[in-house]
Amino acid sequence: MIENLKKTFESFNKKFISWPNNNRDKFFNKFMKMGFPNNKIEDWKFSNFNNFVSKNFKSLNTNFENLTSFKFDKYVNSFDHNKIIFINGEFKDKNFGNEEKEKFVCSDIKSFGEHLRLTIEDECENSLNLLNNAFYLDGLSLIIEKEYEFKKPLIIYNVFKTKKENNFFNQKIKIKVGENSKIDILLLNINLGSEPIFLNIYNNISLKKDAIVKLYSSSDLGEKDIFYNFNSVDVLNNSIFENFIFSNSANFYKNEIKCSLNEKYSSSFINGAIFSQNEQTHEIKSRIEHNDENTKSYQKIKSVLDKKSKSVFQGKIFVSSKAQKTDGYQLSKAILLDKESEFDSKPELEIYADDVKCSHGSTSGNLDEDAIFYLMSRGLSEFEAKKLLIKGFLNDAVETITNNEIRKYFSSKIESKINEYR
Amino acid sequence: MLNIHNLSAKIDKKSILNGLSLKIKPGEVHAIMGPNGSGKSTLANILSGKKGYDISGKVSYENNDLFNLAIEERAHKGLFLAFQYPLEIPGVNTSNFLKTSLNAIRKSKGQKELDALEFLKIVKKKASELKIDEKILNRQLNVGFSGGEKKKNEILQMSLIEPKMAILDETDSGLDIDALKIVAKGVNALRGKERSFLIITHYQRLLDYIKPDFVHVLMNGKIAKSGCMELAEELEKTGYEKI
Repeated sequence: MIENLKKTFESFNKKFISWPNNNRDKFFNKFMKMGFPNNKIEDWKFSNFNNFVSKNFKSLNTNFENLTSFKFDKYVNSFDHNKIIFINGEFKDKNFGNEEKEKFVCSDIKSFGEHLRLTIEDECENSLNLLNNAFYLDGLSLIIEKEYEFKKPLIIYNVFKTKKENNFFNQKIKIKVGENSKIDILLLNINLGSEPIFLNIYNNISLKKDAIVKLYSSSDLGEKDIFYNFNSVDVLNNSIFENFIFSNSANFYKNEIKCSLNEKYSSSFINGAIFSQNEQTHEIKSRIEHNDENTKSYQKIKSVLDKKSKSVFQGKIFVSSKAQKTDGYQLSKAILLDKESEFDSKPELEIYADDVKCSHGSTSGNLDEDAIFYLMSRGLSEFEAKKLLIKGFLNDAVETITNNEIRKYFSSKIESKINEYR
Repeated sequence: MLNIHNLSAKIDKKSILNGLSLKIKPGEVHAIMGPNGSGKSTLANILSGKKGYDISGKVSYENNDLFNLAIEERAHKGLFLAFQYPLEIPGVNTSNFLKTSLNAIRKSKGQKELDALEFLKIVKKKASELKIDEKILNRQLNVGFSGGEKKKNEILQMSLIEPKMAILDETDSGLDIDALKIVAKGVNALRGKERSFLIITHYQRLLDYIKPDFVHVLMNGKIAKSGCMELAEELEKTGYEKI
């Protein structure tokens, strides 16, 4: 696999050598030294990523010339929104309705990637980030001026329908939000094709003073797809970052977030619902850094596992010596519906300040038999009772979403996934 | 309606019911009183289908062998248990649950399922009759409800479902006097020729408002004495020890 990847890189690099990012080979060479992550690495101890790649792919190919473009029109119709559309990794279209166009710059990265010039130091400990740096071609750059609140949420449709010659996608999403500005974003990753894809997205989000960013993510990927989503978030004075992930598709999905609360009164809310089935492995890993006084973080992750699946939560709250009056909260709860599923949880606190309030909790177990009995005694079948309890359990995480339209979107999405469940 | 014959039950080899027999005809209201640990709740649990008991004896319900009916089939056929400790179910909206439950039962009877609007109209009317704050309908099922709210929610479900045979397991415990009257009113409103009740209680108090036709004393897992309302009054004065 690695040898094949080398060939892919060589032909790829020849094609895109003239591109602003001319450090590709340095990143790739560093990646070659590290290889795909395996479970000997602490951050990957619960999932041997290497195995997923070799199990699902004979070769990884990035081949932008052989794109078969198609028209995507299955937009979310339950609420009005701004749109950005990616087809097979390439920025295709945007529609910002009647937003004030002078207040932000939204562009692809292929034609406007100069400011993304990377140095080898960037995320050099993470081999998948190195791979992203070596292979990325397109993505989104959204820079929002100060004092602008978007009227509607933005949905990024990241849609794939591809062939074997093109199954490896590396994208970058960079969002800078100015002082006192606000945006709500829903990222939808959708694979409409039958060929498995390996999707590797690097998100970089920065919030200036008094800004609010709400970033929600959901995927409809194939049963052999691999998706690694890395988020690096910087939050300044009095800003709020809210994040929700619903993880239900793809054979392997890892959502990793590093969120730095760098100035006073900044806060982050990282919540998620995982419903894993059919030998899937789904993982949420977070590292919240409290770097200044009076910062707040809140995390709630609910997982339901069935049919030999595995889900993992690794969450760390780091409190620097400067970050007095930190308020950190983390809770992870899992329900296992069969004996062969596995839930791993690694909650960590690393605290260097003495006046802080931090707590974490993690539970896993079965559905409550008494609750099932109660619901059945009211006429529900055992299966209906279980589905209602699963829905309720996951809804508890959905309730954290503060955008009403998007909360309803996730609530009905989870409901339909549970209705499909057999 | 309900015919319990020589019912015995053990849990972890410990005997709880020892040959209990009881006949309830359509339209009758029976009260079962008894000291702590006499097997009252076990009887209610077994009738509604809770697992984990080692059971012998016979129970027929409307000419069906009750033990051949699954838990939800018992509910479909009109058997209802108001729980002593209604469960808190986080994340499940009360109103949604009530609708799901009512429609499951309607569906089993071949009746048309109610849509959201039809349901809302009915549930609001019933809730106001029971003086239940409409707001609880939009809260998570029983989560953070007061003791009284939980019990009233059970009675609300009973009045929505309109069962043929309702078992009330210590519905009066934890209720203040006003709530007690409301619950009794809810029960009395449902009384009719075709509907029977089995009321399990520690105290005579509730029976003052729901005059039962028969009163039974349950001790050591069987009916020790049966009578009418006077028996309840006697028990209130003398306690269970004299029986």
